[in-house]
Amino acid sequence: MAESLRAVPAHSSADPGILAAQAQEDLVVGDEIVRFRYYTRMVHWGVALTFFLCLFTGLPIWTPIFGWMAPLFGGLQVCRWLHPWTGIAFSVFALLQFVHWAGEMKRTAADKRFTKLKNFLAYMRWEYHDDEVGKFNGGQKSLFWLSSLAALGVLVTGVVLWWPNYFSNPFREASWVLHDVTFVLFFLLVLGHIYLSIAEPGTFAGMVRGTVTKAWARLHHPAWYRDVTGERRR
Amino acid sequence: MAIPGLEVFQSSASLRGTGSALRQLPVVSKLIDTSSCIGCKACEVACQEWNDLPNAKTVQDGSYQTLPTMTADFWNLIKFHEVDVDGSFNWLMRKDQCMHCADPGCLKACPAPGAIVQYSNGIVDVNPDQCIGCRLCETGCPFDVPRFSEKTGKMSKCTLCVDRTSVGLEPACVKACPTGCLHFGTKANMQAMGNERVKQLKADGYVNAGLYDPAGVGGTGVITVLKHADKPELYGLPKDPKVPKSVRFVKSYLRPLGLLGIGAVVVGLVGHYLRFGPRTPSKGPPPAAPPPVA
Repeated sequence: MAESLRAVPAHSSADPGILAAQAQEDLVVGDEIVRFRYYTRMVHWGVALTFFLCLFTGLPIWTPIFGWMAPLFGGLQVCRWLHPWTGIAFSVFALLQFVHWAGEMKRTAADKRFTKLKNFLAYMRWEYHDDEVGKFNGGQKSLFWLSSLAALGVLVTGVVLWWPNYFSNPFREASWVLHDVTFVLFFLLVLGHIYLSIAEPGTFAGMVRGTVTKAWARLHHPAWYRDVTGERRR
Repeated sequence: MAIPGLEVFQSSASLRGTGSALRQLPVVSKLIDTSSCIGCKACEVACQEWNDLPNAKTVQDGSYQTLPTMTADFWNLIKFHEVDVDGSFNWLMRKDQCMHCADPGCLKACPAPGAIVQYSNGIVDVNPDQCIGCRLCETGCPFDVPRFSEKTGKMSKCTLCVDRTSVGLEPACVKACPTGCLHFGTKANMQAMGNERVKQLKADGYVNAGLYDPAGVGGTGVITVLKHADKPELYGLPKDPKVPKSVRFVKSYLRPLGLLGIGAVVVGLVGHYLRFGPRTPSKGPPPAAPPPVA
Protein backbone atom coordinates (compact mmCIF):
# COMPACT_ATOMS: atom_id res chain seq x y z
CA MET A 1 0.00 0.00 0.00
CA ALA A 2 2.65 2.46 1.07
CA GLU A 3 4.75 1.63 -1.97
CA SER A 4 1.92 2.34 -4.40
CA LEU A 5 1.16 5.63 -2.63
CA ARG A 6 4.71 6.78 -2.99
CA ALA A 7 4.71 6.26 -6.74
CA VAL A 8 3.44 9.71 -7.66
CA PRO A 9 2.18 10.00 -11.22
CA ALA A 10 3.94 12.73 -13.17
CA HIS A 11 0.70 14.66 -13.72
CA SER A 12 -0.28 14.55 -10.02
CA SER A 13 -0.96 17.90 -8.43
CA ALA A 14 -0.61 16.42 -4.95
CA ASP A 15 1.59 18.16 -2.43
CA PRO A 16 4.98 16.43 -2.42
CA GLY A 17 5.41 17.06 1.31
CA ILE A 18 2.08 15.38 2.11
CA LEU A 19 2.85 12.46 -0.19
CA ALA A 20 6.28 11.95 1.31
CA ALA A 21 4.75 12.01 4.80
CA GLN A 22 2.60 9.00 4.03
CA ALA A 23 5.02 6.16 4.48
CA GLN A 24 8.44 7.23 5.64
CA GLU A 25 9.81 9.50 8.35
CA ASP A 26 13.01 11.56 8.52
CA LEU A 27 12.94 12.46 4.81
CA VAL A 28 13.90 15.86 3.45
CA VAL A 29 11.36 17.25 0.97
CA GLY A 30 12.33 20.66 -0.32
CA ASP A 31 12.37 22.97 2.68
CA GLU A 32 10.54 20.47 4.85
CA ILE A 33 11.40 17.35 6.79
CA VAL A 34 8.94 14.49 7.31
CA ARG A 35 8.66 14.10 11.08
CA PHE A 36 5.65 11.82 11.54
CA ARG A 37 4.36 9.46 8.88
CA TYR A 38 0.69 8.66 8.35
CA TYR A 39 0.61 5.70 10.77
CA THR A 40 2.32 7.68 13.56
CA ARG A 41 -0.14 10.50 13.16
CA MET A 42 -3.21 8.24 13.01
CA VAL A 43 -2.16 6.43 16.18
CA HIS A 44 -1.39 9.69 17.95
CA TRP A 45 -4.75 11.21 16.99
CA GLY A 46 -6.45 7.98 18.01
CA VAL A 47 -4.85 8.37 21.41
CA ALA A 48 -5.84 12.03 21.55
CA LEU A 49 -9.46 11.49 20.50
CA THR A 50 -10.05 8.58 22.86
CA PHE A 51 -8.29 10.46 25.67
CA PHE A 52 -10.72 13.32 25.31
CA LEU A 53 -13.69 10.98 25.05
CA CYS A 54 -12.55 9.45 28.35
CA LEU A 55 -12.06 12.91 29.79
CA PHE A 56 -15.43 14.31 28.75
CA THR A 57 -17.35 11.20 29.80
CA GLY A 58 -15.39 11.03 33.06
CA LEU A 59 -15.39 14.65 34.20
CA PRO A 60 -19.17 14.85 34.80
CA ILE A 61 -18.86 11.72 36.96
CA TRP A 62 -15.84 13.20 38.72
CA THR A 63 -17.61 16.34 39.87
CA PRO A 64 -21.00 17.91 39.14
CA ILE A 65 -19.15 21.11 38.23
CA PHE A 66 -18.62 19.44 34.85
CA GLY A 67 -22.17 18.06 34.78
CA TRP A 68 -22.89 20.18 31.71
CA MET A 69 -20.66 17.85 29.66
CA ALA A 70 -22.94 14.87 30.25
CA PRO A 71 -25.69 15.99 27.82
CA LEU A 72 -23.08 15.99 25.04
CA PHE A 73 -23.22 12.21 25.20
CA GLY A 74 -26.89 11.79 26.14
CA GLY A 75 -26.73 12.15 29.90
CA LEU A 76 -24.80 10.92 32.89
CA GLN A 77 -26.10 7.36 32.51
CA VAL A 78 -24.66 7.22 29.00
CA CYS A 79 -21.37 8.67 30.25
CA ARG A 80 -21.16 5.96 32.88
CA TRP A 81 -21.86 3.29 30.27
CA LEU A 82 -19.56 4.82 27.67
CA HIS A 83 -16.60 5.70 29.89
CA PRO A 84 -15.24 2.14 30.34
CA TRP A 85 -15.47 1.51 26.61
CA THR A 86 -13.75 4.75 25.68
CA GLY A 87 -11.17 3.65 28.24
CA ILE A 88 -10.69 0.36 26.39
CA ALA A 89 -10.38 2.22 23.08
CA PHE A 90 -7.85 4.58 24.65
CA SER A 91 -5.86 1.67 26.04
CA VAL A 92 -5.69 0.05 22.60
CA PHE A 93 -4.39 3.23 20.95
CA ALA A 94 -2.05 3.92 23.87
CA LEU A 95 -0.62 0.41 23.51
CA LEU A 96 -0.15 0.87 19.75
CA GLN A 97 1.60 4.16 20.38
CA PHE A 98 3.74 2.68 23.12
CA VAL A 99 4.92 -0.16 20.87
CA HIS A 100 5.48 2.27 18.02
CA TRP A 101 7.58 4.75 19.97
CA ALA A 102 9.18 2.87 22.88
CA GLY A 103 12.32 2.15 20.87
CA GLU A 104 12.87 5.84 20.11
CA MET A 105 12.37 6.98 23.68
CA LYS A 106 15.60 5.82 25.34
CA ARG A 107 17.06 8.62 27.42
CA THR A 108 20.38 10.01 26.21
CA ALA A 109 22.86 12.21 28.07
CA ALA A 110 21.25 15.24 26.44
CA ASP A 111 17.83 14.12 27.69
CA LYS A 112 19.16 13.77 31.21
CA ARG A 113 20.53 17.30 31.00
CA PHE A 114 17.19 18.52 29.65
CA THR A 115 15.13 17.16 32.54
CA LYS A 116 17.21 18.84 35.26
CA LEU A 117 14.78 21.28 36.85
CA LYS A 118 17.06 24.26 36.27
CA ASN A 119 17.42 23.45 32.59
CA PHE A 120 13.74 22.68 32.14
CA LEU A 121 12.81 26.04 33.69
CA ALA A 122 15.33 27.74 31.39
CA TYR A 123 13.69 25.88 28.50
CA MET A 124 10.31 27.24 29.55
CA ARG A 125 11.81 30.74 29.38
CA TRP A 126 12.90 29.84 25.81
CA GLU A 127 16.52 30.18 27.00
CA TYR A 128 17.77 26.62 26.91
CA HIS A 129 19.54 25.13 23.94
CA ASP A 130 21.34 21.83 23.63
CA ASP A 131 22.97 20.93 20.35
CA GLU A 132 22.62 17.21 21.10
CA VAL A 133 18.81 17.09 21.26
CA GLY A 134 17.60 14.38 18.87
CA LYS A 135 14.22 13.68 17.32
CA PHE A 136 12.60 13.80 20.77
CA ASN A 137 13.87 15.94 23.61
CA GLY A 138 14.09 14.92 27.26
CA GLY A 139 10.73 16.50 28.03
CA GLN A 140 8.98 14.61 25.27
CA LYS A 141 10.55 11.36 26.36
CA SER A 142 9.52 11.99 29.95
CA LEU A 143 6.00 12.72 28.74
CA PHE A 144 6.04 9.44 26.81
CA TRP A 145 7.08 7.32 29.80
CA LEU A 146 4.93 9.16 32.33
CA SER A 147 1.84 9.07 30.15
CA SER A 148 2.40 5.38 29.38
CA LEU A 149 2.56 4.74 33.11
CA ALA A 150 -0.55 6.87 33.66
CA ALA A 151 -2.42 5.02 30.89
CA LEU A 152 -1.57 1.73 32.58
CA GLY A 153 -2.65 3.20 35.92
CA VAL A 154 -6.06 4.39 34.77
CA LEU A 155 -6.60 1.09 32.94
CA VAL A 156 -5.81 -1.14 35.91
CA THR A 157 -7.77 0.95 38.42
CA GLY A 158 -10.55 1.43 35.88
CA VAL A 159 -10.98 -2.32 35.46
CA VAL A 160 -11.42 -2.65 39.24
CA LEU A 161 -14.04 0.11 39.23
CA TRP A 162 -15.76 -1.44 36.21
CA TRP A 163 -15.96 -4.98 37.62
CA PRO A 164 -16.15 -4.35 41.38
CA ASN A 165 -17.65 -7.79 42.07
CA TYR A 166 -14.28 -9.41 41.60
CA PHE A 167 -12.41 -7.20 44.04
CA SER A 168 -12.55 -6.66 47.78
CA ASN A 169 -13.33 -3.25 49.22
CA PRO A 170 -9.74 -2.18 49.98
CA PHE A 171 -8.90 -2.73 46.30
CA ARG A 172 -11.95 -0.77 45.24
CA GLU A 173 -11.11 2.10 47.57
CA ALA A 174 -7.48 2.21 46.46
CA SER A 175 -8.52 2.05 42.81
CA TRP A 176 -10.93 4.92 43.25
CA VAL A 177 -8.27 7.13 44.84
CA LEU A 178 -5.58 6.13 42.33
CA HIS A 179 -7.90 6.49 39.32
CA ASP A 180 -8.58 10.07 40.42
CA VAL A 181 -4.98 10.96 41.27
CA THR A 182 -3.67 9.43 38.06
CA PHE A 183 -6.24 11.13 35.88
CA VAL A 184 -5.53 14.56 37.37
CA LEU A 185 -1.76 14.21 36.89
CA PHE A 186 -2.27 12.75 33.41
CA PHE A 187 -4.55 15.64 32.45
CA LEU A 188 -1.98 18.17 33.70
CA LEU A 189 0.70 16.47 31.59
CA VAL A 190 -1.57 16.57 28.54
CA LEU A 191 -2.37 20.23 29.14
CA GLY A 192 1.35 21.02 29.13
CA HIS A 193 1.83 18.86 26.03
CA ILE A 194 -0.91 20.64 24.09
CA TYR A 195 0.29 24.03 25.28
CA LEU A 196 3.84 23.49 24.03
CA SER A 197 2.56 22.27 20.66
CA ILE A 198 0.81 25.62 20.35
CA ALA A 199 3.43 27.84 21.99
CA GLU A 200 6.12 26.45 19.71
CA PRO A 201 4.67 27.11 16.25
CA GLY A 202 5.34 24.46 13.66
CA THR A 203 5.02 21.65 16.18
CA PHE A 204 1.31 21.08 15.69
CA ALA A 205 1.78 20.90 11.91
CA GLY A 206 4.26 18.09 12.44
CA MET A 207 1.47 15.98 13.85
CA VAL A 208 -1.19 17.09 11.33
CA ARG A 209 0.61 17.51 8.03
CA GLY A 210 3.43 15.25 9.10
CA THR A 211 6.19 17.64 8.13
CA VAL A 212 8.16 20.37 9.88
CA THR A 213 10.26 23.13 8.41
CA LYS A 214 14.03 22.87 8.43
CA ALA A 215 14.21 26.00 10.56
CA TRP A 216 11.92 24.38 13.14
CA ALA A 217 13.97 21.18 13.20
CA ARG A 218 17.23 23.11 13.56
CA LEU A 219 15.85 25.05 16.53
CA HIS A 220 14.09 22.29 18.42
CA HIS A 221 15.89 19.09 17.45
CA PRO A 222 19.39 20.02 16.20
CA ALA A 223 20.93 16.53 16.37
CA TRP A 224 17.98 15.05 14.48
CA TYR A 225 18.24 17.88 11.96
CA ARG A 226 21.91 17.08 11.35
CA ASP A 227 21.18 13.35 11.04
CA VAL A 228 18.39 13.86 8.55
CA THR A 229 19.99 16.54 6.39
CA GLY A 230 23.59 15.41 6.69
CA GLU A 231 24.64 18.92 7.62
CA ARG A 232 27.67 19.35 9.79
CA ARG A 233 27.62 20.75 13.30
CA ARG A 234 28.19 24.46 13.35
CA MET B 1 -38.49 7.91 44.52
CA ALA B 2 -38.96 11.54 45.33
CA ILE B 3 -41.66 12.05 47.92
CA PRO B 4 -43.74 15.19 47.43
CA GLY B 5 -43.81 17.36 50.51
CA LEU B 6 -40.79 15.69 52.09
CA GLU B 7 -37.91 18.12 52.05
CA VAL B 8 -34.55 16.84 50.90
CA PHE B 9 -31.90 17.62 53.50
CA GLN B 10 -28.89 16.52 51.48
CA SER B 11 -28.42 15.16 48.01
CA SER B 12 -25.57 13.22 46.40
CA ALA B 13 -23.12 15.09 44.15
CA SER B 14 -24.87 18.32 44.96
CA LEU B 15 -22.80 21.49 44.96
CA ARG B 16 -25.21 23.15 47.34
CA GLY B 17 -24.52 20.63 50.06
CA THR B 18 -27.15 20.27 52.71
CA GLY B 19 -30.67 21.52 52.30
CA SER B 20 -32.26 24.54 53.87
CA ALA B 21 -34.11 22.45 56.45
CA LEU B 22 -36.76 25.16 56.33
CA ARG B 23 -39.39 22.60 57.12
CA GLN B 24 -38.02 20.88 60.18
CA LEU B 25 -39.24 17.36 60.66
CA PRO B 26 -38.46 15.11 63.58
CA VAL B 27 -35.83 12.54 62.69
CA VAL B 28 -37.45 9.14 62.57
CA SER B 29 -36.02 5.81 63.51
CA LYS B 30 -36.78 2.13 63.55
CA LEU B 31 -36.01 0.20 66.71
CA ILE B 32 -35.07 -3.46 66.39
CA ASP B 33 -35.04 -5.45 69.60
CA THR B 34 -33.06 -8.52 68.61
CA SER B 35 -33.75 -10.09 72.02
CA SER B 36 -37.43 -10.53 71.20
CA CYS B 37 -37.01 -11.53 67.55
CA ILE B 38 -38.21 -15.10 66.95
CA GLY B 39 -36.92 -15.32 63.37
CA CYS B 40 -40.38 -15.75 61.85
CA LYS B 41 -39.45 -13.65 58.80
CA ALA B 42 -42.84 -11.95 58.62
CA CYS B 43 -40.90 -8.70 58.10
CA GLU B 44 -39.18 -10.18 55.04
CA VAL B 45 -42.54 -11.10 53.50
CA ALA B 46 -44.09 -7.74 54.36
CA CYS B 47 -41.11 -5.95 52.78
CA GLN B 48 -41.40 -7.94 49.56
CA GLU B 49 -45.17 -7.39 49.46
CA TRP B 50 -45.23 -3.68 50.12
CA ASN B 51 -42.35 -2.87 47.81
CA ASP B 52 -43.70 -5.13 45.03
CA LEU B 53 -40.47 -7.11 44.99
CA PRO B 54 -40.49 -10.52 43.32
CA ASN B 55 -40.53 -13.77 45.29
CA ALA B 56 -37.00 -14.72 46.18
CA LYS B 57 -35.88 -18.25 45.46
CA THR B 58 -34.58 -19.33 48.83
CA VAL B 59 -31.09 -20.73 49.20
CA GLN B 60 -30.37 -23.53 51.65
CA ASP B 61 -26.98 -22.85 53.14
CA GLY B 62 -27.29 -24.84 56.35
CA SER B 63 -29.02 -22.17 58.39
CA TYR B 64 -32.49 -20.72 58.75
CA GLN B 65 -31.58 -17.75 56.61
CA THR B 66 -33.74 -17.13 53.54
CA LEU B 67 -30.78 -16.06 51.44
CA PRO B 68 -27.04 -15.88 52.12
CA THR B 69 -27.13 -12.11 51.65
CA MET B 70 -29.46 -9.27 50.68
CA THR B 71 -30.04 -8.76 46.95
CA ALA B 72 -31.28 -5.95 44.74
CA ASP B 73 -34.76 -7.55 45.06
CA PHE B 74 -34.50 -8.43 48.76
CA TRP B 75 -33.89 -5.51 51.10
CA ASN B 76 -34.67 -7.00 54.48
CA LEU B 77 -32.94 -10.19 55.54
CA ILE B 78 -33.03 -11.81 58.96
CA LYS B 79 -29.55 -13.13 59.64
CA PHE B 80 -29.07 -16.12 61.90
CA HIS B 81 -25.83 -16.46 63.81
CA GLU B 82 -25.04 -19.55 65.88
CA VAL B 83 -22.23 -18.54 68.20
CA ASP B 84 -20.58 -19.42 71.47
CA VAL B 85 -20.58 -16.54 73.95
CA ASP B 86 -18.60 -17.15 77.13
CA GLY B 87 -19.10 -20.87 76.89
CA SER B 88 -22.83 -20.81 76.25
CA PHE B 89 -24.53 -21.38 72.93
CA ASN B 90 -26.38 -18.41 71.46
CA TRP B 91 -28.70 -18.26 68.50
CA LEU B 92 -28.58 -14.63 67.50
CA MET B 93 -30.93 -13.12 64.96
CA ARG B 94 -30.50 -9.75 63.40
CA LYS B 95 -32.44 -7.76 60.84
CA ASP B 96 -30.06 -6.83 58.02
CA GLN B 97 -31.18 -3.77 56.07
CA CYS B 98 -30.16 -0.21 55.28
CA MET B 99 -29.21 1.54 58.52
CA HIS B 100 -30.21 5.04 57.29
CA CYS B 101 -27.06 6.65 58.67
CA ALA B 102 -27.16 10.30 59.71
CA ASP B 103 -23.88 10.65 57.79
CA PRO B 104 -24.48 8.28 54.87
CA GLY B 105 -21.34 6.97 53.16
CA CYS B 106 -23.35 5.92 50.09
CA LEU B 107 -24.58 9.47 49.58
CA LYS B 108 -21.09 10.84 50.14
CA ALA B 109 -19.64 8.45 47.55
CA CYS B 110 -22.38 8.83 44.93
CA PRO B 111 -21.32 10.86 41.87
CA ALA B 112 -24.81 11.21 40.33
CA PRO B 113 -26.63 14.38 41.41
CA GLY B 114 -29.77 13.48 43.34
CA ALA B 115 -29.40 9.71 42.97
CA ILE B 116 -29.17 9.31 46.74
CA VAL B 117 -31.01 11.76 48.97
CA GLN B 118 -31.50 12.17 52.66
CA TYR B 119 -34.86 13.64 53.59
CA SER B 120 -35.09 16.05 56.46
CA ASN B 121 -36.61 13.26 58.59
CA GLY B 122 -33.33 11.34 58.19
CA ILE B 123 -34.47 8.69 55.71
CA VAL B 124 -31.85 7.87 53.06
CA ASP B 125 -33.43 7.03 49.72
CA VAL B 126 -32.42 6.17 46.16
CA ASN B 127 -33.77 7.87 43.04
CA PRO B 128 -33.53 5.20 40.34
CA ASP B 129 -34.08 7.90 37.69
CA GLN B 130 -30.80 9.53 38.67
CA CYS B 131 -28.78 6.42 39.56
CA ILE B 132 -26.11 5.70 36.97
CA GLY B 133 -25.19 2.26 38.31
CA CYS B 134 -21.55 3.06 39.02
CA ARG B 135 -21.63 1.12 42.31
CA LEU B 136 -19.46 3.61 44.20
CA CYS B 137 -22.13 3.63 46.93
CA GLU B 138 -21.11 0.05 47.69
CA THR B 139 -17.63 1.34 48.45
CA GLY B 140 -19.00 4.13 50.62
CA CYS B 141 -21.28 1.97 52.77
CA PRO B 142 -19.69 0.56 55.95
CA PHE B 143 -22.60 -1.91 56.35
CA ASP B 144 -22.43 -3.54 52.89
CA VAL B 145 -26.03 -2.63 52.12
CA PRO B 146 -26.47 -1.17 48.60
CA ARG B 147 -27.22 -3.84 46.03
CA PHE B 148 -26.69 -3.43 42.30
CA SER B 149 -29.27 -4.98 40.00
CA GLU B 150 -27.92 -6.43 36.78
CA LYS B 151 -31.50 -6.31 35.47
CA THR B 152 -32.05 -2.59 35.91
CA GLY B 153 -28.47 -1.36 36.10
CA LYS B 154 -29.44 0.54 39.24
CA MET B 155 -28.78 0.36 42.95
CA SER B 156 -31.54 -0.48 45.40
CA LYS B 157 -32.00 -0.83 49.12
CA CYS B 158 -34.48 -0.40 51.97
CA THR B 159 -36.29 2.96 51.80
CA LEU B 160 -37.51 2.78 55.41
CA CYS B 161 -40.87 2.62 53.60
CA VAL B 162 -40.64 6.34 52.94
CA ASP B 163 -43.85 6.15 50.93
CA ARG B 164 -45.64 4.86 54.06
CA THR B 165 -43.80 6.77 56.75
CA SER B 166 -44.20 10.13 55.00
CA VAL B 167 -47.97 9.77 55.33
CA GLY B 168 -47.95 8.66 58.94
CA LEU B 169 -47.83 4.87 58.59
CA GLU B 170 -45.18 2.65 60.10
CA PRO B 171 -42.86 0.65 57.78
CA ALA B 172 -44.32 -2.58 56.40
CA CYS B 173 -41.93 -4.75 58.43
CA VAL B 174 -42.94 -3.02 61.67
CA LYS B 175 -46.60 -3.48 60.78
CA ALA B 176 -46.07 -7.21 60.24
CA CYS B 177 -43.86 -8.05 63.24
CA PRO B 178 -45.85 -10.36 65.56
CA THR B 179 -43.66 -10.09 68.66
CA GLY B 180 -43.32 -6.34 68.89
CA CYS B 181 -39.62 -6.48 68.43
CA LEU B 182 -39.88 -3.77 65.75
CA HIS B 183 -40.95 -0.23 66.53
CA PHE B 184 -41.08 2.99 64.57
CA GLY B 185 -41.23 6.60 65.73
CA THR B 186 -39.10 9.64 66.35
CA LYS B 187 -35.49 8.85 67.03
CA ALA B 188 -35.73 10.28 70.56
CA ASN B 189 -38.69 8.02 71.38
CA MET B 190 -37.02 4.97 69.90
CA GLN B 191 -33.83 5.63 71.85
CA ALA B 192 -35.82 5.94 75.04
CA MET B 193 -37.69 2.72 74.30
CA GLY B 194 -34.46 0.94 73.39
CA ASN B 195 -32.69 2.07 76.53
CA GLU B 196 -35.63 0.89 78.60
CA ARG B 197 -35.31 -2.55 77.01
CA VAL B 198 -31.56 -2.54 77.60
CA LYS B 199 -32.23 -1.90 81.30
CA GLN B 200 -34.56 -4.91 81.42
CA LEU B 201 -31.98 -7.10 79.70
CA LYS B 202 -29.28 -5.99 82.08
CA ALA B 203 -31.57 -6.77 85.02
CA ASP B 204 -32.08 -10.21 83.45
CA GLY B 205 -28.33 -10.80 83.54
CA TYR B 206 -27.27 -9.63 80.10
CA VAL B 207 -24.72 -7.22 81.50
CA ASN B 208 -23.35 -6.35 78.09
CA ALA B 209 -26.72 -5.45 76.60
CA GLY B 210 -26.81 -2.14 74.78
CA LEU B 211 -28.22 -0.06 71.98
CA TYR B 212 -26.37 -0.19 68.65
CA ASP B 213 -26.45 3.36 67.28
CA PRO B 214 -22.87 3.81 66.03
CA ALA B 215 -21.48 7.31 66.40
CA GLY B 216 -18.95 6.79 63.60
CA VAL B 217 -21.68 7.38 61.01
CA GLY B 218 -23.43 10.05 63.06
CA GLY B 219 -25.89 7.57 64.51
CA THR B 220 -28.32 5.51 62.46
CA GLY B 221 -31.98 5.67 61.59
CA VAL B 222 -32.22 1.99 62.40
CA ILE B 223 -31.13 1.28 65.98
CA THR B 224 -30.74 -2.18 67.40
CA VAL B 225 -30.97 -3.58 70.91
CA LEU B 226 -28.24 -6.21 71.30
CA LYS B 227 -27.80 -8.62 74.20
CA HIS B 228 -24.08 -8.60 73.45
CA ALA B 229 -23.57 -4.98 72.46
CA ASP B 230 -19.89 -5.22 73.44
CA LYS B 231 -19.40 -7.63 70.53
CA PRO B 232 -21.63 -6.49 67.65
CA GLU B 233 -19.48 -8.63 65.33
CA LEU B 234 -21.31 -11.65 66.76
CA TYR B 235 -24.35 -10.36 64.89
CA GLY B 236 -22.38 -9.50 61.77
CA LEU B 237 -22.37 -5.79 62.63
CA PRO B 238 -19.17 -3.73 62.42
CA LYS B 239 -17.85 -2.65 65.81
CA ASP B 240 -17.07 0.93 64.82
CA PRO B 241 -18.45 1.62 61.35
CA LYS B 242 -17.17 4.71 59.59
CA VAL B 243 -17.45 6.16 56.13
CA PRO B 244 -14.21 4.93 54.52
CA LYS B 245 -11.37 7.44 54.76
CA SER B 246 -10.77 7.03 51.02
CA VAL B 247 -14.28 8.28 50.25
CA ARG B 248 -13.82 11.34 52.44
CA PHE B 249 -10.33 11.91 51.00
CA VAL B 250 -11.53 11.74 47.39
CA LYS B 251 -14.56 13.93 47.93
CA SER B 252 -13.24 16.47 50.43
CA TYR B 253 -9.60 16.87 49.39
CA LEU B 254 -8.71 15.24 46.09
CA ARG B 255 -11.47 16.83 44.03
CA PRO B 256 -11.08 20.40 45.24
CA LEU B 257 -7.29 20.03 45.00
CA GLY B 258 -7.50 18.50 41.53
CA LEU B 259 -9.84 21.23 40.31
CA LEU B 260 -7.56 23.88 41.79
CA GLY B 261 -4.52 22.22 40.19
CA ILE B 262 -6.13 22.00 36.76
CA GLY B 263 -7.38 25.58 37.01
CA ALA B 264 -4.01 26.86 38.19
CA VAL B 265 -2.16 25.11 35.35
CA VAL B 266 -4.56 26.47 32.72
CA VAL B 267 -4.19 30.01 34.10
CA GLY B 268 -0.42 29.51 34.40
CA LEU B 269 -0.09 28.39 30.78
CA VAL B 270 -2.12 31.35 29.52
CA GLY B 271 0.08 33.61 31.66
CA HIS B 272 3.18 31.92 30.27
CA TYR B 273 2.06 32.57 26.71
CA LEU B 274 1.37 36.21 27.47
CA ARG B 275 4.76 36.56 29.18
CA PHE B 276 6.99 34.62 26.81
CA GLY B 277 4.93 34.35 23.63
CA PRO B 278 5.49 31.74 20.98
CA ARG B 279 8.94 30.28 20.46
CA THR B 280 9.53 30.71 16.76
CA PRO B 281 12.63 29.60 14.87
CA SER B 282 13.63 33.23 14.43
CA LYS B 283 13.86 33.71 18.21
CA GLY B 284 16.44 32.47 20.64
CA PRO B 285 19.47 30.28 20.02
CA PRO B 286 20.80 29.17 17.66
CA PRO B 287 20.72 32.48 15.82
CA ALA B 288 22.86 31.71 12.76
CA ALA B 289 21.78 29.44 9.95
CA PRO B 290 24.15 26.58 9.23
CA PRO B 291 26.06 26.63 5.99
CA PRO B 292 24.09 24.85 3.28
CA VAL B 293 25.34 21.48 2.18
CA ALA B 294 26.26 21.27 -1.44
